[in-house]
Formats: sequence, C-alpha cells, structure tokens
Amino acid sequence: MNKREFLSLLEEVIEADPGTIKGTETLEELGWDSLSVLGFIASIDERFGVDISPKELNKCKTVSDLIALLGDRVTTD
Amino acid sequence: MAVSRLTGVRLAGLASAVPQDTLTLADDALSFGDADAKRISESTGVSKRYVASNGLCTSDLCLAAGERLLAELGWPRDSVDALIFVSQTPDYLLPATSCSIHGRLGLSTRCAAFDINLGCSGYIYGFWLASQLIVSGSARRVLLLVGDTISRIVSPRDRATAPLFGDAGTATALESDANAPSMVFELGTDGTGQEHLIVPAGAFRQPRTERTAERTEREGGNIRSDEDLFMNGAEVFAFTLRVVPKLIKSVMDAAEWSTEDIDAWVMHQANRFMLQHLIKRMKLPADKAVLAMEEYGNTSSASIPLAMTHTLRKRLMNEKLNLVMVGFGVGLSWGAAALTCYNVIMPDLLVVSSQPA
Repeated sequence: MNKREFLSLLEEVIEADPGTIKGTETLEELGWDSLSVLGFIASIDERFGVDISPKELNKCKTVSDLIALLGDRVTTD
Repeated sequence: MAVSRLTGVRLAGLASAVPQDTLTLADDALSFGDADAKRISESTGVSKRYVASNGLCTSDLCLAAGERLLAELGWPRDSVDALIFVSQTPDYLLPATSCSIHGRLGLSTRCAAFDINLGCSGYIYGFWLASQLIVSGSARRVLLLVGDTISRIVSPRDRATAPLFGDAGTATALESDANAPSMVFELGTDGTGQEHLIVPAGAFRQPRTERTAERTEREGGNIRSDEDLFMNGAEVFAFTLRVVPKLIKSVMDAAEWSTEDIDAWVMHQANRFMLQHLIKRMKLPADKAVLAMEEYGNTSSASIPLAMTHTLRKRLMNEKLNLVMVGFGVGLSWGAAALTCYNVIMPDLLVVSSQPA
C-alpha cells in the first residue's frame, strides 16, 4: 500500500472527505478518538491481517506515527 | 484447554428475563451530547437497553427466569440436583448468591449450589461445567442461572461503558439424556490481560474508601471512579481478533462441522462493530450469525442465552439446530461450544418489575 492509499484508508476510518488528509496532521487535529482506534485496528486487520498492538497505537500522536507503526507495509512512493 | 467432547446431556429449556426500566439513545444524548451519542450508537449497534433500578439484582432476574422455566418444564423442585449461578454482580460478598436463590426457589436440601465469577465467557463455562456434572453421574438435572446487572457498576458519564451495557438474567435447564448428540467445548484464559476489563476497587485488593468512590476525569474525558467498571475497548477488541477466529475454527473442526452444517452462530453480543468485523473476517454467513444487541445492549454473561431467546426461540422449540456458541471478554477469558439442540422449552422473554414488592 502506498502512502496515498493509506491516507484514503484513514479517511474512511475517521469518516473524512476523500483527499482531505495530507499526512502532516496530528491525530488530535483529525478528531481521533476511541472509536477511530477501533476502526483503525479493524481496517488494518482486514487489509493486512495484522493485529496492531493498542499499546503501540496509543503512543501515536501524528499520521506519520501511524505510518511508521505499519513499517514497510506502507511504501513511500 | 484441549477440546472436550461429551455425550449424554440435553439442553431441555432456556428462559431469559430483563428488568422493566429502559435507557435509550435520548438518555445518552443528555450525558454525551446528540452527536456523540448517535456516533457511539451507530458503532455499538445499541439503541436501547433494559436496566435494573430500585435495587433490582441479577438474582431477581434469574429467579424469575428460573421459576418460569421450572413451571414450563414441569420439573419438580426436588429433581434439581445442582444449581450454578454465573455472575459478576452477586447479591452479597457472602453468602454465595446461588445459596440465596436456592432458598428462594425452594429447592431440595440435597441440591448442590455454587457461584462462578465470570462475565462474557460465563455462559459457556457454566454450560460446560453443568454438562460435566451430568456426564460424571453427579447430577441428573442442573439449573444454570446466568446474568448480570452491569448497568449498576458503570459510571453514567463514561462513554466507553454507560451507553453499551444492559442487564438481564437467564435460566438454562440441562438434563441427562442417553440419546443426546455429543457436544464439543473449548475454554481458555489469558490472565495477563486482566486490567483491560476491571472494577479496580471495592473488594479486598483495594477496599472502598472515600478516594475510590470519587469520580474524576480519566482518558478521553470519561468520568469514572475506581469503583466503576473500566473497559479498554481497543485492548478487548485486539484480544478478540487474536482469539475468537481460531476458537471458532477449533470447535467446528472438533465437531466435524463445515459452515453449511451450522444453523446459527451465537456469539457474546459485545457490540455490533466488533461482531460484524468478526463475521466478515471469518466469512460467516451474515444471516446465520446472530446480532441481538440493538434492544438490549451488551448484557455480559447473559448475552448468549438472551440472544437465543430473542432470535431463535421458535426455531429451538420446533427444529433441530446445530449451534456454535462463543463467549469472550473479562478475565480475559473465553469459551466456545458446538451442540445440537431440539425440542427446547423456551418461554417468551420475561419482563421483571423494578418496583419493590
């Protein structure tokens, strides 16, 4: 998955309009809350079959942190 | 635990009871605002739940269900060899609530009675243990009473718990039957996750004090005391994804059932978002995976039997059904069962008045 695809996934999770997340935002700016966390865990499980650690996810403060959490599953191109 | 298979036990009857009083989305909107209440409800799938008020206890709900079930089964009181009460909301610290209910039901003094402290997985554990008592020859008839009044231990200002949990009590009758088809059970525990669903204070590890009773602002702006239920939804969800798909596959394999052989999957009604994700992930047929939280919320240990009363009552009374039941949550603890049911005596849902007698 490339970065744009990841941002689209994130837009679906937080029910934002397509194309509105740039990737430089903090999660707080996006209105990230406990329901977003559940949605994100579910989407990543569905897309990659990967169990994200909620403890690690909780440490993420920015969209970049989320991308870093997924390691090489999100490519930079 | 390894898969256990047993034969000679029949599900004879099942009854469910809820309190009369309800809370709805409109009540949640008063606590959390319209937008948040609606958003939570759209995720959890809960728009109403029955709640115990005026001191109504789990035992009162289970007693009503038990009384009705014994009457409809025509079981003489002295034919019940064991009574098991599964709950996390007992009447007293001691004695065991099962003893209290035993007295109120007027059961024989030769009846064994004891409590099990489990929640979301409790119905499966109770069913398994009751069945083992019968298989071992210790009991011919067992009355399994399972329920909770979790609404009484949530903070009304904690959005992770208050809009989700409802109350219910159930009664299940199991009896010895040499012709009954075999059942399969698998149970498990991960106690390292105990802090994810917990009421930290009020028992002996952290007794009640003025400080433990104080409701303060916690994570996500939720307001709660240490005597209120805490739930880390993300951890519980992650645990469910780790455990439940494997658990279901394991009991289906042990029962030698393929997806087509199963008439209904009855999972603990944790919340709709989680169940729908599991259903999709495991490619279960959506029309056979029971969803029954809209009117009741998450009723903890009672959710599996309550969902059966709500969605499968007529069919369980008239047809032969292959069921997979799955419980998972507080503990962390889990269990699943694969069993064939038929001619089950099932009264309609009972509504118990919360007004003091």
